[in-house]
Amino acid sequence: MTANHDGPRALDDTADAAEQNLRLGRVRAAMAAAGLDALLAFAPAWRRENVRYFTDARLSGTASFVLLTVDGPERGSAFSTRRADLDAIVGRGWVTDAHQLSVHAPSALTEGLLAAGPKRLGIAHYELLPGLLLSRLGKTLPGTEIVSATRLMDDIRLVKSDWEIARMRHAANVVDAGWKAFVDVLRPGLPEHGIVAAVEAAIKELGAEDNFMLIASGGDEVRGMTAPSPRVLQRGDMVRTELTPQLNGYWLQICRSAVVGRASDAQRRSFDLFNEAVEAGIAAVHPGVTAHEVARAQNDVFRARGLGEYCTSQYTRVRGHGHGLHIDETPIIEGNETELPENAVFIIHPNTYTPIAGYHVLGDPVRVTQDGAEVLITTERKLFEGAVR
Amino acid sequence: MKRGLVVLDPTEIPADEWRGRVAAVQRELAASGIDVALVYGDVSRSDDIAYLTNLCVYWNEGVLAVPAQGDPVFLTKLSPRVHPWMRLVSTVAEIRSGRSFAELVGKFLGPGDGGTVGLIDAGLWPGAVVAEIHRALAGWEVRPLTGLVRTLRQVPSPTELTLLRRAAASLTETAAVAAAPGLSDGERIAVAERELRGDGYLDVMARTSRTADGVTSVQITGQYRYLWLHASRLADPGSTAWPHALRRAIATAVAATAPGVTTADLDAAAQPALAELPAGATADVRWVYHADMATNGEYADDPAGQPVPEGAVVIVEIDVRMADGTHATVAETVLAAGDGPVCLTGRPNLAAPGDPVR
Repeated sequence: MTANHDGPRALDDTADAAEQNLRLGRVRAAMAAAGLDALLAFAPAWRRENVRYFTDARLSGTASFVLLTVDGPERGSAFSTRRADLDAIVGRGWVTDAHQLSVHAPSALTEGLLAAGPKRLGIAHYELLPGLLLSRLGKTLPGTEIVSATRLMDDIRLVKSDWEIARMRHAANVVDAGWKAFVDVLRPGLPEHGIVAAVEAAIKELGAEDNFMLIASGGDEVRGMTAPSPRVLQRGDMVRTELTPQLNGYWLQICRSAVVGRASDAQRRSFDLFNEAVEAGIAAVHPGVTAHEVARAQNDVFRARGLGEYCTSQYTRVRGHGHGLHIDETPIIEGNETELPENAVFIIHPNTYTPIAGYHVLGDPVRVTQDGAEVLITTERKLFEGAVR
Repeated sequence: MKRGLVVLDPTEIPADEWRGRVAAVQRELAASGIDVALVYGDVSRSDDIAYLTNLCVYWNEGVLAVPAQGDPVFLTKLSPRVHPWMRLVSTVAEIRSGRSFAELVGKFLGPGDGGTVGLIDAGLWPGAVVAEIHRALAGWEVRPLTGLVRTLRQVPSPTELTLLRRAAASLTETAAVAAAPGLSDGERIAVAERELRGDGYLDVMARTSRTADGVTSVQITGQYRYLWLHASRLADPGSTAWPHALRRAIATAVAATAPGVTTADLDAAAQPALAELPAGATADVRWVYHADMATNGEYADDPAGQPVPEGAVVIVEIDVRMADGTHATVAETVLAAGDGPVCLTGRPNLAAPGDPVR
């Protein structure tokens, strides 16, 4: 099945048209610099960011693609394993040529590639492309050099446009509402998965497409967060979460901890430590700062108190990560020298275990501004107390 | 996303059954001369791994190594910090973390004299990972295998059927509330999330779509433990006639879902009612194993011409594309029992009077 229009459809909104032109210009410039005649963006079900970048359509297919040539005037062609995706793509209007695809007989895709006839083809998420499709592409284009274009697309998506920032601000409203729902539902006797149910309902009602969320409850024995368990909350528990709704394609995260009832002195001391680390991370931000420098600023707060070992991989993962059409873009970690230019968006979260009060979760998403950082959410950074009698 | 309850409960599936599943794979390996099978999964499709171990690949990717003799070992790029939780919620005792699957598999197999490694559902593995493993395993034969674990999952065991019935009862009730008249799209989705995740679903994917004449399809896919269910209902039909015809169509298709039927049989059963759809509408009638719902059947071998096996739990769906490109969808989760179909997600008012749907 194919869905298309006779010619490029006029985009309803001039801002949308400008955004798409900006993207196509960026990508084609990067393709030219990399010597790519064509780019194939592949989206498995858990990594749709690049296909979304080209289509701005919410897709549900198990495998979808966009094929773009370097010098073609067209907006590319889209392919999906799900029929409903074709109407979603064409209905959005960014790509007007869409085809249904069978992974076992991908002729729609191979015919498109043959017509493009690239000498050098870049595949974004080459590393995830199922072998049965990769081998078909190789047989279809025997003389073509096929390379990964994953990094190329990651670099392009790192800096957000004003159009994208506006969408992320909208996501921030839902992030704030999600955290409020989290605190409001806390009560002794509620299982962890009951918290998740309440939060998911609240943010989905507000339009969230998806949500990445980890959680942990308990005392100072808690070493990290996981998917929810049937454990029921008890008074005095600290409940930790990273909550990450996706709105209109864009993910944005909040990290907070809340106590069921009144917080203990140790829990407050723990909050003060983590808040200082978050503030240090935010203070380090300026255009061109590296991910390493933002991570080091946070870790130095722990090191200054003799708690440096709790910044290692034995206890924690990263000190934040980029946000955008993917939830987990460049990692904020010591050793990552990626520069974060103005309008890069990432979360600063020094989440880790310490003996003070167990694993603590605290962090805010920020945008790199001309002279520092802008926190994108409005939720207060404090140790929340829920179900206070 | 897999953000719901993850639990290993021996009262649901006893230890003997878990061991029996691995043993069934090992018998297949022995018969094929395979020393070690590797099963790949990522956050979006890892049910083979869950079926054998109850492991939840909640993010990133993982590989389960199943030796022809001995216990499975889980290989993951996730941090060792999550090993205690993974052991707590799974049957796996040994978990190894590393930076690449080639490195992990190479270390797991060791330098020995070589042997034969089988990649289960080899064509669905990332091709780049397969190439890395080939390079890392010099001296070993790397052989592609079919989806033998997926095949084992198609017909649920009695314990799995108990879980499916429990989950279906929850989904049936929730779908009825979510499809109640007058709710907004957001309210319908919120109902599904709140009720199903509250009842212990691991994952919930609820969507709505609307036709030009205002009929809303409420589509709810859920994963309970590692088992999948799906129901899609029409809401706000107003005074239009076609939604009633579409409901009759799904009822007759469900009633026809007996062991041995094919997609063509289901289509034939639904056609009289589908003839009443608006001009220009096209309808796709299909069935998918519940075991393939992680990909909505899109990575499965095309079942169109294949018969539904006895005892399989399948999703029967009719997707209607209207002339204007909007969609209406109805679907149920059905057990193809030997003595006739059982609509696990059926509502008393789904079928027309006299329809043989239980």
